[in-house]
Amino acid sequence: MKKTLFILFAIVTCAFSAHGKLNVVATLPDFGSFAREIGGDKVNVTVLAKPTEDPHFVDARPSFVVSMRNADVLIDGGAELELGWLPPLLQNARNPKIEIGKPGRIQASQGIRLMNVPTNVTRAAGDVHALGNPHFTVDPIIAKAIAQHIAESFSALDPANAAFYEANYKKFEETINAKLQGWGAALLPFHGQHVAAYHDSWPYFAHRFGLNIDLFLEPKPGIPPSPSHLAEVIAQMKAQHIKAIIVEPFHDRRIAEKVASATGAKVVEFSQFPGGVPGTDSYVKLIDTLVSRLAAALK
Amino acid sequence: MNKIVLLVLAVFPVTVVFSQETVSSANSSPVPTVSNTTPATTADVEGLRQQVQSLTETVKALQQQVKNQQAALEKANLTGESGLPQNPEPLPLAGTERSPVPAASVSPRFPTEDISVVQSTTAPAASPAPGASASPLPGDFPTTDTSVVTSAPETISSTGAGASLTQPITIGGGKNYMNISFDGLFALAYSSARDLDHIEVGDHDPQQRGFNARNIELAFDGAVDPYFEGFANIVFKLDNDNETSVEVEEAFMQTTSLPFNLQLKGGQFFAAFGRLNPTHPHTWDFADTPLVNGLFLGPDGLRGVGAQASWTLPLPWYSQLIFASQNGRGSTGFSFRNPGDDGMFFDRITTDREVRGLQDFVWIPRFENSFNLSETQTVLAGVSGAFGSNETGANSRTQIYGADLLYKWKSARAEGGFPFVKWQTEFMYRRFEAGHGADDSFPVAETFHDWGLYSQVLWGFKKGWVVGIRGDYVHMQNSEFTDDLDRQSRSRISANLTWYPTEFSKLRLQYNHDFLEENFFLSDREVDSLFLQFEFILGAHGAHKF
Repeated sequence: MKKTLFILFAIVTCAFSAHGKLNVVATLPDFGSFAREIGGDKVNVTVLAKPTEDPHFVDARPSFVVSMRNADVLIDGGAELELGWLPPLLQNARNPKIEIGKPGRIQASQGIRLMNVPTNVTRAAGDVHALGNPHFTVDPIIAKAIAQHIAESFSALDPANAAFYEANYKKFEETINAKLQGWGAALLPFHGQHVAAYHDSWPYFAHRFGLNIDLFLEPKPGIPPSPSHLAEVIAQMKAQHIKAIIVEPFHDRRIAEKVASATGAKVVEFSQFPGGVPGTDSYVKLIDTLVSRLAAALK
Repeated sequence: MNKIVLLVLAVFPVTVVFSQETVSSANSSPVPTVSNTTPATTADVEGLRQQVQSLTETVKALQQQVKNQQAALEKANLTGESGLPQNPEPLPLAGTERSPVPAASVSPRFPTEDISVVQSTTAPAASPAPGASASPLPGDFPTTDTSVVTSAPETISSTGAGASLTQPITIGGGKNYMNISFDGLFALAYSSARDLDHIEVGDHDPQQRGFNARNIELAFDGAVDPYFEGFANIVFKLDNDNETSVEVEEAFMQTTSLPFNLQLKGGQFFAAFGRLNPTHPHTWDFADTPLVNGLFLGPDGLRGVGAQASWTLPLPWYSQLIFASQNGRGSTGFSFRNPGDDGMFFDRITTDREVRGLQDFVWIPRFENSFNLSETQTVLAGVSGAFGSNETGANSRTQIYGADLLYKWKSARAEGGFPFVKWQTEFMYRRFEAGHGADDSFPVAETFHDWGLYSQVLWGFKKGWVVGIRGDYVHMQNSEFTDDLDRQSRSRISANLTWYPTEFSKLRLQYNHDFLEENFFLSDREVDSLFLQFEFILGAHGAHKF
């Protein structure tokens, strides 16, 4: 009995031993990546969703409750992308530190102007988000704003390391500013070109780099491609000489391959999340990969 | 690649020159100094007008120059691509002065700021060097953005923790105090048995050949205040004569901000017994209730007015203790203080008494734990109990023990939650003391040891498509004295195929094969049933728990 008690005690102390560092939980891997950039070794970052899975439908695994219960900071998108799985987790986590309005809750969409806000919210239009398109982190300028938001929150919660967080943000900002020149130049030759995508996840990326990613294999967001819609897409792709189809790791690549072979376009695997495609363990590497993959396909 | 470099090199100087000229000429313009300080004379105005005109012309000329260059370049670059739509939009490189990084030695060509997407409140507070950030920055970036970017998201106002996220469709566009949803669950049924209502054990299951509407529910939820959230579920059922009955299936409040990972709940609610009991029929993987749930916990599930406390243990894995107490009276406390149909339960005339003491409540503890076997595999296991008195005798008691196991695998590349494999099993044991009935009217008191289980496997093999198989078995202890229809041992095999066009609708085809054992009145027989279930959901569809 004494032994069991001792083991139990050891486990409990283990669970709390991570104290001293900020415990940060990010719903999605992109937020987690920003948190690591800013927090460095002063924070523990736990990411809930896997970079390769559909962020709309993540299982609310009970282990997430444990992570959120012990969190000092929760970073979520705040734009309904996690609507299908975050609310029951919050309910079960019972952690007042990460309530909306508390410094421990960072909603990445705060201060971001979301694109494609529907004027009339109807589910006849498919999986449309009432607050606008939530796939906004792939715009590096928006990424800087989120990173700054995170740096400010970390500084408020951990004033002792405020200078560290601020410096990391500055470093991130400078990296992005410098990188943007290269990314912009790489995609400049394709300015105004049309690109197809499986799902409408790329309006922010397109807007940043002057592309038109406006033809989708899904007839409506979240609705699987139908043969009649794909025939239409193929016709349009031919008419517009579209050279690339963007798919994400969780999409059915075979459908995109079929369309590609019918049109002569290339299938380009993109991910919204660092780690979603090989060699992208940081945000900058992710955008590097996206830009070079797309430029190669459009050439 | 050479082409790209060439293009960049060619366009870059032009745009830089262009923007520099416009900015510098705008700066040298005397316009801003005139308007306020000294009253303008006509001569002044005339002079200004001319200046503006000449400036406009310069700008036009420059614009033309850029356009020509661009067209030439595009022609050079896109030979053979004649069908490509020409894009007359200006390149996004206008306005390159504004660098938020003054320290950077090279002037960036690509804009690194965009006020059209990042609002001023959280816009990067520029860099510390005042000289650079003070330079005039109005609208350098192409203004085409404003047409795409319509509005800013509302910062979500919330008073509570749990229901603080806005829901997609709510009254007043996400700023209301309450989420409302409506769910209609219907079934077209065929059965080789005419008395389908005796074959099916759940109150929301199909009850007759033909069409059934047994679960039409209205759900409300929201934050009550900073301390509580509220939830209500009102169910409308149409009986076999198409008469509507209404039941308050759930209506409870629960705390949101208690310390030490505690949560309290009060009102009418489903007991946290096992996996299936606390859930609503529209989340079920089959069109009907498992036998063991319907026969032990009751056709409507074990629910009632009561209170519950739960505590998630401070352990590195998910571990939760739940303890509830409910009245347990009536048909929703089926194995407990249930007066039964026409005052009879298990052949005994029931007492229908008021609470004498704590022993007459139903006490419902549960302990559940969850582990991740891998990144894609999760296990959730629990044990539950329900203890109380029943109405078949003066001091008759009932105990139900349950164990449940859920295993789920979901692909690391899941789209819309598919593909997945889910295996769920529940086992229950009931000890039921059947007494002498009201006023000792029944000659024999006996104790029934009954047990049963179901096990089901669901395979979501493709986005929106799930195939499932379920086995059911219930063993009722034989008695020479008691012969009740609900005390037959029986078993069942079910298989189904479900299509979810979206998460807001579903179509399900299910086949059941029932094995009914013989008893005093019935010879043994087998029953085949076929259900076509269909469902729609309107409004704020609550997110699913694991």
